[in-house]
Amino acid sequence: MTSRILVVDDDTALAEMIGIVLRTEGFETVFCADGAVAVEVWRAQRPDLILLDLMLPGVDGIEICTRIRAESGVPIIMLTARTDTADVVRGLESGADDYIVKPFNPKELVARIRTRLRPGTSQSGEVLRIGDLTVDVAAHEVRRGEGSIALTPLEFELLVALASKPQQVFSREMLLEQVWGYHYKADTRLVNVHVQRLRAKVEQDPDNPKIVTTVRGVGYRAGAIV
Amino acid sequence: MPTASVTVPVRPFAWRDGAWWRARAEDLGTLWRRSLRFRIVAITLALTALTIIIACVWMALAIQNDLFESRKTQALTDARRAVDSAQATLNNAVVQDDPVQVQNLLTSIQGPLSQQSTTDMTLAVRIDTTPSQLAPPGFRSGGLEESMISPELRKHVRDQGGDEKQWAQSIALPGPGGTPLPGLVVGQQIIVPDIGPYELYLAYDLDDAATTLSFVQVTLWIVGSALVVLIGAIAWFTLRAVTTPIREAAETSAQLAAGDLGVRLTVHGEDELATLGRSFNAMADSIQSQINQLAELSLVQQRFVSDVSHELRTPLTTIRLASDMLNDRRDEFDPATARAAELMHAQVQRFEVLLGDLLEISRYDAGSVQLELEPTSLARLAEDVIVSMQQLAEQHGSDVRLVAPGGYSPVDMDPRRIRRIVRNLLGNAIEHGEGKPIVITVDSNQQAVALGVRDYGLGMTEADAERVFDRFWRADPSRRRTIGGTGLGLSIALGDATLHRGALTVWSRPGHGSNFVLTLPRGPAPVEPGSPIPTDPDDDASLDDLGLTQPIALHDLPDGGAR
Repeated sequence: MTSRILVVDDDTALAEMIGIVLRTEGFETVFCADGAVAVEVWRAQRPDLILLDLMLPGVDGIEICTRIRAESGVPIIMLTARTDTADVVRGLESGADDYIVKPFNPKELVARIRTRLRPGTSQSGEVLRIGDLTVDVAAHEVRRGEGSIALTPLEFELLVALASKPQQVFSREMLLEQVWGYHYKADTRLVNVHVQRLRAKVEQDPDNPKIVTTVRGVGYRAGAIV
Repeated sequence: MPTASVTVPVRPFAWRDGAWWRARAEDLGTLWRRSLRFRIVAITLALTALTIIIACVWMALAIQNDLFESRKTQALTDARRAVDSAQATLNNAVVQDDPVQVQNLLTSIQGPLSQQSTTDMTLAVRIDTTPSQLAPPGFRSGGLEESMISPELRKHVRDQGGDEKQWAQSIALPGPGGTPLPGLVVGQQIIVPDIGPYELYLAYDLDDAATTLSFVQVTLWIVGSALVVLIGAIAWFTLRAVTTPIREAAETSAQLAAGDLGVRLTVHGEDELATLGRSFNAMADSIQSQINQLAELSLVQQRFVSDVSHELRTPLTTIRLASDMLNDRRDEFDPATARAAELMHAQVQRFEVLLGDLLEISRYDAGSVQLELEPTSLARLAEDVIVSMQQLAEQHGSDVRLVAPGGYSPVDMDPRRIRRIVRNLLGNAIEHGEGKPIVITVDSNQQAVALGVRDYGLGMTEADAERVFDRFWRADPSRRRTIGGTGLGLSIALGDATLHRGALTVWSRPGHGSNFVLTLPRGPAPVEPGSPIPTDPDDDASLDDLGLTQPIALHDLPDGGAR
């Protein structure tokens, strides 16, 4: 099954070039050059992944990202020309799973897309427990008691990574490799921001986390099973 | 056993020794130089004191003179009246050559004489010294003696005392208890009928005048001193009105100079000080607006560079994607097109690096760089960099060695930036090292950690070494570029080092190679002069001595390091 990718970029040349690269790699592409209609195009097309330029005329990428996240956990990769802390963090906080800094090379782009599109790492039918949560890996479902918690695929994967090895302390670099597929030193802010977003969803008290606990100076580990 | 006694020389008690006084004098000297107020008050006091002393002395003398003169005039008048009256009595008397009558006559005039002359100190001496039965030698009263009258006065009275002429002279009168009192003696002739002229002296006591005089003088001095003190105090307080605003102005200008552009003087009134304040404020306004304008200009320029860099990124991405794609398929092209695709690919990459460096520089200029500090071992970091660049070094035939006697303990730094500096320095060393060994030294002291990169290649002249951190500067434009930096590498390295409050210094000599030393402070204080690694490698250490001191060879370097 070919994955469909929505490219939201106002620079038509770049969009077309990205389209060429992606089609060469066997993806199907949809384009949108106007931020104002991006959300509608997304609703109409229901792509498997979105490449979203951070700076768009009309509605900017961060706004689009926030709106789509409100409705769906579809993987979103931001394209940004700015690597300044504030911009990147704002983008990630609005819900983007990953970001690529312009200029990027085709291999990097494809690798990032494939990582986000790959099926979950552990396909076993096991049911994991973390804190007071139950994680049904096969059903892609997280439950607290009877209630179900909606997570994006990335957040789910992050939680599964931690829950599957409850004894292990994960450094940010380890998580970057396991969840984001980076095999070199990447931006640890990705991990920080997504751990915050995950906590906001799964923790009873995000200021006093019990599910994803911080190990000072090292990284994160799964909370004790209750 | 006799005990040895030690006599301690007892210093004579000195309340303040010379050094103390010298110190005080120095203090005063300092005050004189530093305090306008002190200086002006001191000058005012000195001049006022001098003026008042002169005025007092002059006044005292004038008063003294006037008192004496008036007393003298009065004495002369009194004496004349008394003598005239006595002479009249004498002239009317008939004595008929009877010594007793003469004596009685003389005695009878003494009372009125004393009364009218207002002094009881009288003395009469007969001028003619020929003995006479008839003439009595004279009379005296009130303790006035012949010996007290000066011979000059007597001579004048005797020789020229006719025609009722008067003579006067100051004398010392015997006072109570033997202390002499100031006095005045008036001399005149008096003629006794049938006998002849007598010298008549009347002495006046001037003690009351002297008392008045000394009272006046004391009063003068007291008033004078009080005036000096008062004027000093007035000057002190008046000057405060002047010096306080001046001091405020000085402090405000210092603040302004220190960069607080918002400070202004408070201005009251319309006097000269207010004018000074207004001018100062106007100057500060002007400076502030100029600086703001410049800052704005520079901000605009920085933003422009940043925007341009960012705007370039989108088309560059398209080009990059296209060139990568073409490069990947160059096997399908004819050789010329394939080469063209390859060249384009390489140059696009170079362009990208250049753009990245440019953006980094614009961040330094904008001051918008944030360090991400974490404790890092500089020695370990150096090892990592050497390993990562091993291949490049081997291609150039350079043997890279690490000599690290210190610098293992972690120090707060931004490892990404420091790694970039070390990569850059090592890259330069490999490129310009002409295949000779390269020594990386890491060492530390209490204040700092340092890393030196030494090559033994071409080296540079001193003038070139000075410009090596300039943007886009190249030591030798004709030199072949093998690694192909952007020309911004060392500028960025210097910027990174400065951000860490560290230093990046260079030593280089043609034919002897170069030595770059990066020094990072351990604490938040900026790095002080005196790096753990000297910039000047003291070039006696020839190539042969390398690695002998600390033969720490790491990561299977071909040579092994330890010779």
